Amino acid sequence: MDFHFSEEQQQFRMELRAWLKENLERPWIEELRDPKNDEKKLFDIRRNWQAKLNESGYLGIHWPKEWGGRGLTVVENAIFAAEAIHAPPIASRVGINLLGPALIHHATEEQRRRFIPKMLSGEEVWCQGFSEPDAGSDLAALRTRAELDGEDFRLEGQKVWTTFAPWSDWIFVLARTDPDDRYGGITFFLVSLHQEGIDVRPIRQITGESEFGEVFFSGALAKREHIVGAIGEGWKIAMTVLAYERGSMSLAHLARFDHYLKDLVDGVRENGSLQRADVREKIARLMVEKEVLRANGYRTLATLASGQAPGPEASLEKIFWSEYSRRLADGALDLLGLQAHLLVRSPHARPHMDWAQEALYSRAVTIYAGSSEIQRNIISKRILKLPSS
Amino acid sequence: MQFELNENHALLKTSIREFLEKESPLAKSRPMMEETQEGFSKELYAELGDLGYLGLTLSESEGGGAAGVIGLAVVLEEMGRVAFPGPFLDLVLAEETLCRVKDQQASQFLQETVSGRKKVLLARSEALDDLERSSLQTRCDQDTIRGTKLPVSYGASADVLLVTTAEGLALVPRPEEGWKATSLPALDHAQRFVEISLDSPGRLLTDKQRADTILQEVDQLGALGASALMLGLMEGSLELTLDYLKERKAFGRTIGSFQVLQHRAADMWIRVESSRSAVYRAAWALENKLEEASLLVASAKAYSGDSARFVCGETIQLFGGVGYTWEYDPHIYYKRVKTLEQLYGSTRNQLEAALQSQGI
Ligand SMILES: Cc1cc2nc3c(=O)[nH]c(=O)nc-3n(C[C@H](O)[C@H](O)[C@H](O)COP(=O)(O)OP(=O)(O)OC[C@H]3O[C@@H](n4cnc5c(N)ncnc54)[C@H](O)[C@@H]3O)c2cc1C
Repeated sequence: MDFHFSEEQQQFRMELRAWLKENLERPWIEELRDPKNDEKKLFDIRRNWQAKLNESGYLGIHWPKEWGGRGLTVVENAIFAAEAIHAPPIASRVGINLLGPALIHHATEEQRRRFIPKMLSGEEVWCQGFSEPDAGSDLAALRTRAELDGEDFRLEGQKVWTTFAPWSDWIFVLARTDPDDRYGGITFFLVSLHQEGIDVRPIRQITGESEFGEVFFSGALAKREHIVGAIGEGWKIAMTVLAYERGSMSLAHLARFDHYLKDLVDGVRENGSLQRADVREKIARLMVEKEVLRANGYRTLATLASGQAPGPEASLEKIFWSEYSRRLADGALDLLGLQAHLLVRSPHARPHMDWAQEALYSRAVTIYAGSSEIQRNIISKRILKLPSS
Repeated sequence: MQFELNENHALLKTSIREFLEKESPLAKSRPMMEETQEGFSKELYAELGDLGYLGLTLSESEGGGAAGVIGLAVVLEEMGRVAFPGPFLDLVLAEETLCRVKDQQASQFLQETVSGRKKVLLARSEALDDLERSSLQTRCDQDTIRGTKLPVSYGASADVLLVTTAEGLALVPRPEEGWKATSLPALDHAQRFVEISLDSPGRLLTDKQRADTILQEVDQLGALGASALMLGLMEGSLELTLDYLKERKAFGRTIGSFQVLQHRAADMWIRVESSRSAVYRAAWALENKLEEASLLVASAKAYSGDSARFVCGETIQLFGGVGYTWEYDPHIYYKRVKTLEQLYGSTRNQLEAALQSQGI
């Protein structure tokens, strides 16, 4: 039992802090507030920030050095997430957080050499092509087909809810190479979006933005050399991706939640309600649950740092942080009233926090990366071993 | 960063688990709760003394096991799992108080408590609610202690009481004719609350200021200990539930195959495991005397209280009618948890403590 950060890890934190002070010109919320920044400009800011991080060794912190990483552990990566909360999110979040680990685990040396450096530099932005209109929770029902065409394959079908698709250069796709084998008939392809036979259409979200989209394939080329793992191994690789998407990131969320709860406390101080018993109880519970979330996060971190891959326990983290984020945002809207409804560019909006965006976004986090219901299925089947119906 | 127990603690966990599963399964402990005056097995407590469990947290020079706060949490978690009855945590807290006062008689009693020969218990509360009061009514007047304490957990079994008075902390040996104790039967039939009227010879051990400092430290350990007990209780309750879900049939299938019940079991598990993370992180912080210990202990107590209430309540629900019978065990867990939510710093007081630890 030990939750200490080591000397070296503390040292890493101090250096990073100094680096951020020097290099982060403007907090992300200021960029969001700036009316000159449209969605395209904001995305460029993220891409530039990512390039800067990469040049300074702050991307792929826990990846092996030979793959452009820094060769440190998930602990330093979590420290980065905690320190950099006011920085823009990187452009290729999906690539670096999800595909990167899968490539390091499963790809060939040649594939890693081809894809990882440009993923890190932000030159190639990635999106995740798993979900389809009729295959979401039931992902193995996916129907996008990969048909043999000489040495290579041609894709036919459609993906949906593809985050960053409108800004991406490449997509990793689960496609069917065998229509009769539910799990063993799925293959994991890396596919360029800049080609004939691909049509990307943005979808507007409840926030009004179009962060995700649809991707239509009609004969797009999927090269054999860009299959990760063997043909028919796609499901296994997808599970690695999903495990990373669910667990291992709750400390990054925590750093945000620390900042959010602080803003909420400031807010109730300013509106004069901090001494009300109902307010105190609500804030205290949010604070207590946040500490529990941190304890869960450190626990996962300790497991990952000891070299184990995330298992079904990742479902616990996914449920906890996603459902907590709803309670926190709802709590803020309750206690701050309409001030927390004001959009970031509205007069009178809270200067350091975009509660409206957070409240809406918190409705997505319990759906993606396996909905809360699916996580509970995983826990009851794989951990509690309850019988199937 | 490491979450696993170290070798010593892992060993401690195995030994206490084996001991309790053999000596105190509910089939054996329920008659103690239900049919004895003390509410626990005196023989088992004597054995806990012989085996060194009663001096668990004390240093080796005090005759203790030096297992630290984490070791205490490990043992209490296991005791919770089998709903082990009696004043184990109360004895530990009395010891932790005794070892902080420099006094020869206190050291004497400490040794006798560690060995299991005597029971020293704290008598602090003067009201049944958890509201803070500005002053104590119990007084120490020229080596006589006068006042009324309630509730005192297992007070009737005490050989010595450590009594808080307006003047400070006093040591009161059991009078020849015994305590003037009135039993206060409560929701948790395994608990023994008494009201004790004191007009007895006693002696001031420390003044008020020092007593407050000592008890503040002891209270943190109490809150942590109660959290670990509740963690164990909800684990035990979840184990009961999972067995039942896999065995009971309705509509021609095992009820554990109904998705709605699977999700409720998953929620119970989430609560148990999250409480585990919180309790052990708090134990670690307290053991290392870290600044954040106040926040973490208060969080662990409040969260495991809410969680244990939920988990043990769900157990009754998922058992159906038999869950509401005296015969089945779910109520044993549920009742212990309801008591622990109130004792050692009630949930609402812990929530307030959490805020204050952050200057809010
Ligand atoms: C903001 C956002 C970003 C996303 N980004 C991506 C992306 O980049 N790439 C990508 O591939 N996908 C992405 N997704 C898609 C996401 O993974 C799916 O929406 C999700 O898996 C749910 O699938 P669905 O939408 O088809 O809902 P459905 O599967 O139709 O689910 C509908 C409801 O039924 C419940 N349900 C379904 N099956 C069960 C069951 N067996 N037991 C109990 N309840 C069940 C679900 O929990 C849900 O409440 C994103 C989604 C969102 C909201």
